[in-house]
Amino acid sequence: MYEKHLMICGATGCLSSGSAKVHQALVEELAKHKLEKKCRLVMTGCPGFCEVGPIIVIYPDEVFYCRLKPQDIPELVEKHLLGGEIVERLLYKGPDVDAPARFYDTIPFYRKQKFNVLRNSGIIDPENIDEYIMRGGYRALSRALKMEPMEIIDEVKRSGLRGRGGAGFPTGLKWEFTYKAVGDKKYVVCNADEGDPGAFMDRSILEGDPHAVLEGMLIAARAIGSDEGYIYCRAEYPLAIKRLKTAIAQAEEYGFVGENILGYGFNFKFNIKEGAGAFVCGEETALLASIEGKRGMPRPRPPFPATSGLWGKPTVINNVETYANIPLILREGGLEEFVKIGTEGSKGTKVFALAGKIRNTGLCEVPMGITLREIIFDIGGGIKGGREFKAVQAGGPSGGCIPAEKLDLPVDYDSLTQAGAIMGSGGLVVMDDRTCMVDLARYFLSFTQKESCGKCIPCREGTKRMLEILERITEGLGKPDDLDRLQELASTIKDSALCGLGQTCPNPVLSTIRYFRHEYEEHINEKFCRSGVCKSLFDYFIDPELCNGCTRCARICPVGAISGERKETHVIDPEICTRCGSCVERCRQEAIKVTRVRREADVNH
Amino acid sequence: MKRFIDPCCEKCNHSKETPCKDFVECCTNGPICHEDASCAAKRKAIIDRVALNEHFVIF
Repeated sequence: MYEKHLMICGATGCLSSGSAKVHQALVEELAKHKLEKKCRLVMTGCPGFCEVGPIIVIYPDEVFYCRLKPQDIPELVEKHLLGGEIVERLLYKGPDVDAPARFYDTIPFYRKQKFNVLRNSGIIDPENIDEYIMRGGYRALSRALKMEPMEIIDEVKRSGLRGRGGAGFPTGLKWEFTYKAVGDKKYVVCNADEGDPGAFMDRSILEGDPHAVLEGMLIAARAIGSDEGYIYCRAEYPLAIKRLKTAIAQAEEYGFVGENILGYGFNFKFNIKEGAGAFVCGEETALLASIEGKRGMPRPRPPFPATSGLWGKPTVINNVETYANIPLILREGGLEEFVKIGTEGSKGTKVFALAGKIRNTGLCEVPMGITLREIIFDIGGGIKGGREFKAVQAGGPSGGCIPAEKLDLPVDYDSLTQAGAIMGSGGLVVMDDRTCMVDLARYFLSFTQKESCGKCIPCREGTKRMLEILERITEGLGKPDDLDRLQELASTIKDSALCGLGQTCPNPVLSTIRYFRHEYEEHINEKFCRSGVCKSLFDYFIDPELCNGCTRCARICPVGAISGERKETHVIDPEICTRCGSCVERCRQEAIKVTRVRREADVNH
Repeated sequence: MKRFIDPCCEKCNHSKETPCKDFVECCTNGPICHEDASCAAKRKAIIDRVALNEHFVIF
């Protein structure tokens, strides 16, 4: 029996911030003190709070240590494991707590979260099937195997579960269509081609709890009458793929996968298809084409995959998070618990990836219906550096931006759509007052334009023309009729593009025009970018009232554009300045301001 | 018995080739097909080895 369990985050986020080195230091330190038999060390899935990684939670004491470095480990072992004393300096500290916080219930990031899909992340060893079983795993499959297919489908329909990958289509209905479709062979496909910039929900679920996804797929297969499934996962998720392979091998050994599963005469096998990272392969028909070995391009629907999917056979395709919800619904009493959470039209929870200018970057799972304000300020901790919140981009490049006046919007499928965004797969990119909304629209459109597969003209040509206009505007060459033209093109693309990605790609442009039209007009008519992003449309100047002559700006300027004596007001030469913004970041007085470009006409005047 | 898939005694014959319908239930609440305190203890030992606290196991 172990006295302590040291659960160290081994997900991609914490690995990037050094958890493998912390793990190694722990291995060595435990060996040094001969604690290997008393202390269990586990590389877990993501506990969500990526901002403060690497993270270790020590059980049964339930102490959350964060921002760990290998050099912290001797003290941690000496004081906590040997001395029974909490190392206060390694606990969570921040402006949102009065004193160092010890665990989930005292850390504001976790207070409003509801762990359904992420129920096992950070709690279990994702490479140990026994632990998944202890946490109630494969009970839903056992139950489903005793049910008729339509009984399973009815429960999923009654749960109100909607697809977590983007469009929010009712999952049970999709399963019913596939069940009723005629076919000698049917497939279950998992879309793990998470492509939105800043989104990593599915990766974390696969890394932290792969069996939950497998169990969800097995139940789907039982419901529709399928004996084979594919998990389409981008190759740039190597850890997720490794853990999936391990999980499948273990499930096969335990008799949950293969022939005559648990003695019910049900057969199923998994295949993993590694994608090359094309954004368009997140679109279901393009994904299916890619599995078939064809170029990843969408095709017109109907027929929908439910009737004619992989190799022309009826196919259910859902994303990672959708499948991970299924075991919760199908286990004994699960449906009743599931429908208690969420709103009338959006049941359950949603996992979001918090990125951008937010203080607490990471992963959170919240009940549907929570407000954006609660997610961004109570969980996310507000804006980095205490700056002002400007907007949040919800739903990735297919989504839209939501401004500050909509912060009390409940987060559910219908409210977000009404606001001009979409739930999408769950990426939330937060922006502060230094973000230019015209440049933001240009960025997202440049992404979708580059990722356009080129099959349909509206997307291939339309996005290119829209991008050209946006580039002109950000370079100070905007024309008065540009906004009308952008809206006209956006409307045409939405109406006529072949696939969902094409139809939604104008959303960032439309939503920024809807909520930040004045910024576009300022760019076009006054040739001014007040956020200080579009380099042709502003100058920097140093406010003499605020400058204390500390010389930090002059020392950081890479082109020597700033001059001034120590303790005297400094000056920026706009002819030399490249507007890189280094001085702004460096100045502690916030003395460097954005101003309109002094054009020749202004000077003569 | 180090893992749930290992047989607790000769009476347990669950494997992928000879599957038992009660296997999942048996892992945390077993044995189901026979009564034997030592077989139950073997399962409990697997759980006790990794359970983080008293709320860890969901029966």
